[in-house]
Amino acid sequence: MTTATAPARPAPTSRRRVPTPPSMLRLWRIELRRSPMPLILPLIALLFWFDSYRPSTSQALVYPLVTFWNMGQGHTIIDFGPFVAGMAAWIGSRDGRRGTADLLTATPRPRWVAQLATWAATATWAVLAYLVFIGVMFAVYAHRGVLGEPPWWWVAVGAIAVVTFSAGGFTVGVLFPSRFAAPLAAFGGFLALMLSSQTGFRDTSGWALILPTNSNGNFQPDSGLLYPYLPDLPIARMMFFAGIAVVALGLAGLPVAAGGGRLRVVAAAVTAVGLAATGTAVGLVSTARLGPHGIVIAALHDAASDKLTVYIPVCTGAGFRVCVNPTYKRYLTDTAAALAPVTHEVAGLPGTPVRAVQVPAVYNNSDGQGGQAMTIAGDPPVLSVPLGAYNFLPGPTGFSSISITPVGVFDQSVRALFIQAYVDAGSGPGTPAQQAVQAALLQGAGVPFAAQPGLLSGLGPMGPMGPRPGQATGRVYAAGRRLAALPAGTRHAWLAAHLAALRAGHLTLEQLP
Amino acid sequence: MNVELSELVRRFGRTQAVAGVSLRAGPGVFGLLGPNGAGKTSLLRMMATVLAPSSGHMELLGRDPGEHAQRREIRRRLGYLPQNLGYYPGFTVTEFVEYFALLKDMPPGQVPRAVATAVERVGLGDRRRSKLKSLSGGMLRRVGIAQAIVNDPELLLLDEPTAGLDPEQRMGFRALLREMGERATVMVSTHLVEDVGAACTEVALMNQGSVVFYGTPGELTARGEGSGAAGDAPLERGYSAVLAEARS
Amino acid sequence: MTTTATHPSPAAPAALPWMSAGARLTRLYLLSRRVPAAAGLVAALGCLLWAALQWHWNIAGGAAAQLVIPLIVETGAAAIIAVTSHGPFGEAERATGRWLPWLRLGTALALAAVAFGLLAAGGAGGYLPGGSLALLRNFGGMTGIGLLAAAVLGGSFGWTGPMGYLLITEGALAGGWTTPWIWPGRPAGDLGGALCAAAVFAAGLAAVTLLGTRREDRGPASG
Repeated sequence: MTTATAPARPAPTSRRRVPTPPSMLRLWRIELRRSPMPLILPLIALLFWFDSYRPSTSQALVYPLVTFWNMGQGHTIIDFGPFVAGMAAWIGSRDGRRGTADLLTATPRPRWVAQLATWAATATWAVLAYLVFIGVMFAVYAHRGVLGEPPWWWVAVGAIAVVTFSAGGFTVGVLFPSRFAAPLAAFGGFLALMLSSQTGFRDTSGWALILPTNSNGNFQPDSGLLYPYLPDLPIARMMFFAGIAVVALGLAGLPVAAGGGRLRVVAAAVTAVGLAATGTAVGLVSTARLGPHGIVIAALHDAASDKLTVYIPVCTGAGFRVCVNPTYKRYLTDTAAALAPVTHEVAGLPGTPVRAVQVPAVYNNSDGQGGQAMTIAGDPPVLSVPLGAYNFLPGPTGFSSISITPVGVFDQSVRALFIQAYVDAGSGPGTPAQQAVQAALLQGAGVPFAAQPGLLSGLGPMGPMGPRPGQATGRVYAAGRRLAALPAGTRHAWLAAHLAALRAGHLTLEQLP
Repeated sequence: MNVELSELVRRFGRTQAVAGVSLRAGPGVFGLLGPNGAGKTSLLRMMATVLAPSSGHMELLGRDPGEHAQRREIRRRLGYLPQNLGYYPGFTVTEFVEYFALLKDMPPGQVPRAVATAVERVGLGDRRRSKLKSLSGGMLRRVGIAQAIVNDPELLLLDEPTAGLDPEQRMGFRALLREMGERATVMVSTHLVEDVGAACTEVALMNQGSVVFYGTPGELTARGEGSGAAGDAPLERGYSAVLAEARS
Repeated sequence: MTTTATHPSPAAPAALPWMSAGARLTRLYLLSRRVPAAAGLVAALGCLLWAALQWHWNIAGGAAAQLVIPLIVETGAAAIIAVTSHGPFGEAERATGRWLPWLRLGTALALAAVAFGLLAAGGAGGYLPGGSLALLRNFGGMTGIGLLAAAVLGGSFGWTGPMGYLLITEGALAGGWTTPWIWPGRPAGDLGGALCAAAVFAAGLAAVTLLGTRREDRGPASG
């Protein structure tokens, strides 16, 4: 071979081994322009409408309820995740399918780095689509007049989850570039989500809270209304998902074809970091406890998020003044109407509240939300009403899982809760004497004895012990009937004289008139 | 010397695809001829650093491809067109070439001009925005050539580069090879002896993993004179004569 | 090439000379579609189903929710059959003679039958909601959806059909839908659901048999 006579070519200047960001950016841009991920978006849009948006249209127009199914129980993630995983697996298997392995190997940039650019474009499309779909849904909600604060933390959790599914699917495709990679990635993703929905379904503590379909301690009517959504659990979930994504991407860098030995050591380190992040998140969630406003993780908790939302209440006019959060304005008239007969029944007696105010409902361990008692406190006494805790609010949907809550049920329930607070029975059924007085006062407020057992047992812990539902019999109701049969003035005078002892639990049934 | 191979061997199981090849090459166009299964592609893949030799020594562009950092430096100066070119159907011509320019660590500022130049040089300037799935087989081959030359390589390895090209395009391609061979080492593996005759300054003929002839095209032609070997052209007769000798 | 008379070279021996030509063709077709690997994967899904039933993997949420795990497994099997319909040869294969539609039909039917058997074996010994009859109906309908998706979108994307249907079914079951087009929600012996599933299965078979899968070299994706 003869020596060349052409002028010498300037040698390429040696550069640092770290990829030049502009080059990576341009690789990402090419991949973004030509990514096939958008092809799956019409199908995801259809499923998103069917599975995430449509069920929310039957809920009351407050964010915690309209987003309970799609955000709280992770259905936005279910709609996106498996399909993003499957598509990402197909994209990740590209080099195997297209026979470009040799071409890529013969370039100086490690294959893993080139694959990261491909994945980044895939994830960008997936996350953008997720945010756009959520944005459109929230815009529709706003147009429909949904009240409260959107659950932005949970939107962020969903976005990170979509990234994770894209990373997991992509790595499956890289490691197993077969025609079966996409369906198995999609199927595996869906199975994982469905299994997670049954793990710790009713738990309000423990590691299972990390799972994306676990809604306990997250969504309750007053979240985003009377107090903010707590960010503790969303932050832990984001850490969990991000850790899994990092693990997946690190695994893609481990095969020999991914690059040189040093690069694979880096990939192993990345995998380890991801595992550590995931493990840390699980560990943090294991320390979670259910606080009054949701799940609290001590290491992540910011006291500022405990502050109640400041608002200007809406109130009734003259008479017994009832004030509620503007979100509950539609229930103001009904609440006032429900309280009117019972406040009239006890008007002038010691401890009778002069007005009623709504207070935030708190989370408790009974199914994550409370059938919570009213309380009377202060000087002058004020009735505190945790409206958000009640699943019997009136209207076409109320806050109930049943489709229609008759106003009558609401009236009777409110009166029962008021009277229970009035006799200071606490959140339990109270003493037999307290139960008998409750029965008599309810009768006087328009709730017949026959209806009371069923009503009270439906209020959960506040139901009386003794008579079975549907049977207003026994010593308690007999005493109640005797008290109710007294002339109003006599009963009023007796109550005035004995309320203190009654509230203190010192009276027995025999001491009732 | 840009290429120095010494007793290079490559085995696939019990098959010895490359059986102790030694050769040296500096700037110029170097042809690799041989029948199917002779080991040309395996040899080229080893020089492209995508396949490790089973034994032997290889030095490319003064560097040892067995060492990671030096292998990266080789790849930055390397252009490679495999026999079976994979591609991404949805990419345009420009995007495909740019993609590989970026992967070859070209300075970002130089990439657009280099891509445009490479695309023009292979005669696809008017199709630069066409998606690869809309191109004919010959055009795809030219795209493959474009990505191989985009970084103005010092070592250019082309496996069956003229497959699918029409005669006019092949003539243009030979001119391109000669031009590139003025500064780089160009190795062309082909079945088409006329390409070797028209563009190569030296040629090696492989058979069953070994080099059975090494010299100029004229010397290969001379081997066929008077031999009675099959062939429609002098170079073909020389090719047949050498192979017949090697097989006897 | 010289001008002397050429002698016909002896025919190359067949790879498996003891098999008839038809059997050899079928074998090669099945290999090209990765059918053995598909059967292996479905067998693994059958094991998964067995494990789910033995260890009572149930979705919280009542009777309808208990259908979900078996449905997911059936969906996975249907998705695998759908992507098996993808052919790697493109135009060269389409330009051949009359055997291709029969091969497509036979492969889809045989693989569906084998998959049903493997899933039924996985469901044996445990409580499979609706029993084998419901399994046959649900899986058959899902497979039909997968084959239809493969015909329209390409074999590589055939899995999107069963997955999409699964998600719709999950939502429909939660909402108490009773349309026969959501056949998993119907009782095992329900005629309407069976007819709908059978019709979809037949449509999918017909589409793949007559049309094949959408050509992916001119297909939708750049990946």
